[in-house]
Amino acid sequence: MKPDVPGLPDAEITAAPSTSEELAELLAEASAGGLKVLVWGGGTHQGLGHRVVPDLVISTSRLNRLLAWEPDDMTVVIEGGMGVADLEARLAARGQTAVLPETAGEATVGGVLAAGISGYRRGRYGPTRDRILEITVVTGDGRIVKAGGRVVKNVTGYDLPRLVVGSFGSLGVVVSACLKLWPRPNAAATVTLNDPGRADLVYRPLSVLADRSSTRIFLAGTQAEVESQASRVGGVREEGLVWPPPLPGETTWSLRVAPSMMESALNRIPSDADRIGQMTVGEIAFSSARLDGMVDLRGWAESVGGRLVITRASESFYELFDPWGTPPPALDLQRRLIGAFDPRRVINPGRLPGGI
Amino acid sequence: MIEELRAVLGEERVLASPLARHLYSKDAGVFRGEATVVVVPVTTGEVQEVVRIANRHGVSIVARGAGTGLAAGAVPLEGGIVLSTTRMNQIYEIDPVNRTAWVGPGVINLDLSRATAGLGLHFAPDPSSQAACTIGGNVANNSGGPHCLAEGSTVNHVLALEIVLADGTVTIVGSSAPDEIGLDLRGVLVGSEGTLAIVTRALVKLTANSPDVRTLLAWFDSVADAAATVSGVIAAGVVPAALEMMDQAMTQAVENWLHAGLPTEAAAILLAEVVGETAAVEAEADLIRRVALENHAEVRVAANEAERALLWKGRKSAFGAVAQAAPNYYLHDTVVPRTKLVETMEAVYRIGDKHGLTMLNVFHAGDGNLHPLMAFDASEPGMLEKVQAAADELVELCVKLGGALSGEHGIGREKRDLMPLMFSPVDLDAQARVKEAFDPTGVFNPGKVLPLGSRCFDVGGKLPDGAWV
Repeated sequence: MKPDVPGLPDAEITAAPSTSEELAELLAEASAGGLKVLVWGGGTHQGLGHRVVPDLVISTSRLNRLLAWEPDDMTVVIEGGMGVADLEARLAARGQTAVLPETAGEATVGGVLAAGISGYRRGRYGPTRDRILEITVVTGDGRIVKAGGRVVKNVTGYDLPRLVVGSFGSLGVVVSACLKLWPRPNAAATVTLNDPGRADLVYRPLSVLADRSSTRIFLAGTQAEVESQASRVGGVREEGLVWPPPLPGETTWSLRVAPSMMESALNRIPSDADRIGQMTVGEIAFSSARLDGMVDLRGWAESVGGRLVITRASESFYELFDPWGTPPPALDLQRRLIGAFDPRRVINPGRLPGGI
Repeated sequence: MIEELRAVLGEERVLASPLARHLYSKDAGVFRGEATVVVVPVTTGEVQEVVRIANRHGVSIVARGAGTGLAAGAVPLEGGIVLSTTRMNQIYEIDPVNRTAWVGPGVINLDLSRATAGLGLHFAPDPSSQAACTIGGNVANNSGGPHCLAEGSTVNHVLALEIVLADGTVTIVGSSAPDEIGLDLRGVLVGSEGTLAIVTRALVKLTANSPDVRTLLAWFDSVADAAATVSGVIAAGVVPAALEMMDQAMTQAVENWLHAGLPTEAAAILLAEVVGETAAVEAEADLIRRVALENHAEVRVAANEAERALLWKGRKSAFGAVAQAAPNYYLHDTVVPRTKLVETMEAVYRIGDKHGLTMLNVFHAGDGNLHPLMAFDASEPGMLEKVQAAADELVELCVKLGGALSGEHGIGREKRDLMPLMFSPVDLDAQARVKEAFDPTGVFNPGKVLPLGSRCFDVGGKLPDGAWV
């Protein structure tokens, strides 16, 4: 029976396991049968990567429990199917945050990890992969593998948790993860700057976001600190953190460059495109259905060590434009690594750069 | 083989004398190996040639930075070529706008921060050995240090790596731009202890020097009060840049040597540091002071840079100061959840008493990373066995309390055979497959990190009932 998950694609078989053992049996069988599997969390980042036409869709909707939360240790262990928004709401009640994407919608923690997605607060706290401590995956051939540890300081074996982040299921489905938490700051403010350059006057802002009309700086910390910073930068102040809404449009992109290239990058994307530029990070999310100019834009981004990737588009768009661009080096090594976890290549086959 | 190495590197950078081999067969820990030969390459091309020569002769390679490791990660336990990176010590390029730098693996950690100080930047990971240890070693061990509480360890400060793989090819993993596509090979290489590849260059992230800083010393009549302060500070929403604790035995050892005016009657002392803008550090230091006072502490705030430096000197020379306490010491590295600190400390003393060892403690209280130091006299009969037994008992306890085998020093050989305390055979097999994918013939640092026989399941097969593992 198809689970009631919005946007779940059609496939010959759809399953929603409720334990990691069930998931393991399912994947072991899928592997034996050489099936193509698509894993579906909240469906919010399925626009990334090459298209997969699945035989089996696995929904993680029933693997959605909060397993353990040690507020005093600042760690939380959750199942992969737990909603990001749900988790953050619960953590907020105790003044904590996992620093997951702020406008998460239906996204699941496992999905955010698998797709390697970070929120805007990475400006201060770093990307999501900097907060993963322990991970348990079910591999393509049905093994349950755990790596890492539930402590914030750890060098015990290979950092597989980090390797799984951004692996799009190729190293296994995230069934649970232990994340490092941060305290929520006591005070916060969002200032729309009259002069974007003044953002440099703040030591470690939470984020600096540029859109078509303005640049906003996100301040957070102790009350005294926020007051001091807000008055220093000048501009229009709002209380709290006023994150931008998700980009509109059917076709959206992510342009990634070293931060020093951001001004140049902003000038190169279509001038009429809605955009959110993370100025201190080096990432611009923008909305544009135009294909012309994108080849040149990707060429430029890659020439300066960056990337232009598709984050959302219609099915037919992917046939016209490679979602990733030039594959990264060491593809053979990546293939071998994936082969170690998914020997029959069943989970999201071909999704990653290089079509692996 | 030595002839071939000399043809590539020249006579002077291939060391085969018994003395050289002896010197490079040990790190700062207790294990001793036996180097077949020591090579000192300068260029990436030379490293590639060494790998090719090693492969041709079926000899392994153990990379070595400054040899400050404690877990035998750089000790050639199975013979082989020791590849010293000390001549690959250039800072190639500093990008002050992006705050990054390309550096060779042999660059000394502190030297990097010194070189970037003029730009108002530093390299955040600051292990106690930073005056000697190398960036390559920091990458191999995912090194930490007191300031990793808020900044994270080395992996959070490495953007890209140029590496030589087991087949002698060179590639660059990671990127100067955020979110490189594909698998995060850079991420898994950091902390891989020289077993997956040889790092020939690193693109590191530099951190802007903080506009202001406050450093506090708090001292307590009980360890429990100190630990409660740590918890209280974090519960109040402040994550200091550093939160270090030393017990009475350690404080006395340091004070004997340093004469910094450390409170030697206290059961535990806490060194806390907050960084940021002035408004922030004043508010946060005030909070820490209040929480400490609520926990019956006495508190002193460093009034100037000189006082601050002295406090840190006290902390960072802890291990050296211990040399006066006993002829030998074994510096331990374990990590537990922060809330288990007091319980673990009590266990440390109990285990010490049980085995007749003196225990001195210093640790990164903020992240639960303990460094119990066992002081002893190795010439006493049966002492080494006692030390090993105590160490094993401690590690097992820490794992039982929800911790891990190592917070910073790595697994190396020292804790290799304890890995099954943390991981199942299926888990270890998965890690062994990662090793296999990178290094199919096992040329890099064999016998480290993973116990022998970790790779044991057939590809794609389910684990049969009752299988021997």
